[in-house]
Amino acid sequence: MNKDQCSITFNGTTSIIENSSTFISISGVEEFIETKILNIEVDESKTTQRVNLILDNCTDEPINFEINLKINENAKLEFLDESIYSNDSNIKLNTTLHKNSYFELYKLNIYKNKNINLFYHNCSLLENSSFKDYSFSNGSKENLNKTIINLNDINSKYLGSGVSINNSTNSNNEVQIRHNTKSASSDCYFKTVAKGSSKVNFDGIIFVDNHCSKTVSNQVSKGLLIGSESKINLVPKLEIYNDDVECSHGAASGQPDKNTLFYLTSRGISKEDAEQIYVEGFLSEFFATIDNDLMTEKAKKFINLNT
Amino acid sequence: MLEINNLNVSVDDNKILNNLSLSIKTGEVHAIMGPNGSGKSTIAHTLAGNPNYQVESGSISFNGKDLLDMEPTERSLDGLFLAFQYPIEIPGVTNASYLRQIMNSHRKHQGKDPIEAGAFLKLLKEKSTYLKIPFEMHSRFVNTGFSGGEKKKNEVLQMDLLDPKLIIMDETDSGLDVDALKVTADAVNQMKSQNRSLIIVTHYLRLLEYIKPDFVHIFQNGQIIESGDSSLATRIDKEGYE
Repeated sequence: MNKDQCSITFNGTTSIIENSSTFISISGVEEFIETKILNIEVDESKTTQRVNLILDNCTDEPINFEINLKINENAKLEFLDESIYSNDSNIKLNTTLHKNSYFELYKLNIYKNKNINLFYHNCSLLENSSFKDYSFSNGSKENLNKTIINLNDINSKYLGSGVSINNSTNSNNEVQIRHNTKSASSDCYFKTVAKGSSKVNFDGIIFVDNHCSKTVSNQVSKGLLIGSESKINLVPKLEIYNDDVECSHGAASGQPDKNTLFYLTSRGISKEDAEQIYVEGFLSEFFATIDNDLMTEKAKKFINLNT
Repeated sequence: MLEINNLNVSVDDNKILNNLSLSIKTGEVHAIMGPNGSGKSTIAHTLAGNPNYQVESGSISFNGKDLLDMEPTERSLDGLFLAFQYPIEIPGVTNASYLRQIMNSHRKHQGKDPIEAGAFLKLLKEKSTYLKIPFEMHSRFVNTGFSGGEKKKNEVLQMDLLDPKLIIMDETDSGLDVDALKVTADAVNQMKSQNRSLIIVTHYLRLLEYIKPDFVHIFQNGQIIESGDSSLATRIDKEGYE
């Protein structure tokens, strides 16, 4: 393991912490079995610190815990969660980004379609801090992802990209971006593929308070329906109380383009493979926003394995 | 190689082809000319199996097989290739990855192993240089942001990689400048052989000056109203269709 890394492994109700970075401190480990709360604090360093979250599901216990993450002034953190959720889960992440801090969150999660999985992230950004949030998941029986972003100080930035691939599952996704300060910016992209009898909902909420001039906020949500019984509901909601803002939103869903499928099959590709290529292409547009080669590769692999 | 008999085809309940019959032998080059809406693209897409074109009646035999019983995939794997007038853009899929996938589909059908990455890149470089295609184009998404000329050259490149028995070129000359037209025509001429037939759908004489057809057919109202040798194309170019 790189000396700047920290690894947190949860096995049922226990946690294993491997921490070789002097810039990451973790508290609450001893009490964790009772409290289910961990506190992680990241300090300023020259290099980006890394935290890997691993769920080692060898028990039938549901996994419930909360992480309080504090990224101090000038600190940089990359947080990777590649967990395979074999059981029900309820995970909360509370994050605070202090002045000039930088945070990249990569969630590449696989769920089982018999389970109920909840993920809740509440994130506050202070002056000149920046958060890039990438989430890739397949669905579970009931899957709820809720992210609340509070842009609390000037020049704070949020970039969120979510991909949800669902196969006969119910997936509910909500992103609330609250512009509580002037001169903050946010971009939110959400893409979903609904197969079988999946039902996917996306609520994209942008709130701009009345004193928040010079706000820039964009939201795009797109859905691809595979299968006649699948449903996608994309709901952009904009609450803007200031006129000096640049805000946009777009939402579109539909079935794969028949002309594209014909083009592919006319080259000798089977119908099934043509559909697969189409889905991968649809989801892959996000890769351009990831400027981390390793994570781009991981995201490509995730999409390839789950479509 | 290809026998079309009394073919009637509709698009959205509008009859486009009316009792069309055409016979093409192996090694022959046929040009189809005609005014807008005469059914030129309809026959091209019907042969490739585009589901938007409904065959009402008639038959098409391709190398002894009933083409109308075959899915587009099967038609391609059996050696039929349509170069699109408007190649489709596929965002998110790089051209190199796409080209390798279509090649491997054909190789699988032929019982061959998938082409190795190194061998594919070498082949792609060779073909791209010949067609004057910038190699960086292959790292872009399929036909996305390509110029008109790049799209058409990409069609010819696919044609070359798949080595089909019957090539149908649907207005491949449209959108090509003089230099690109010559490069494209040269590549097609290289592919002409005794074992391969070509159908060239075009409005103009200029492509046929580079790729000389054995037969020229004039379409009007979904029928062939006149057939002849290459001099017919020259006459049409001077006198028009009326």
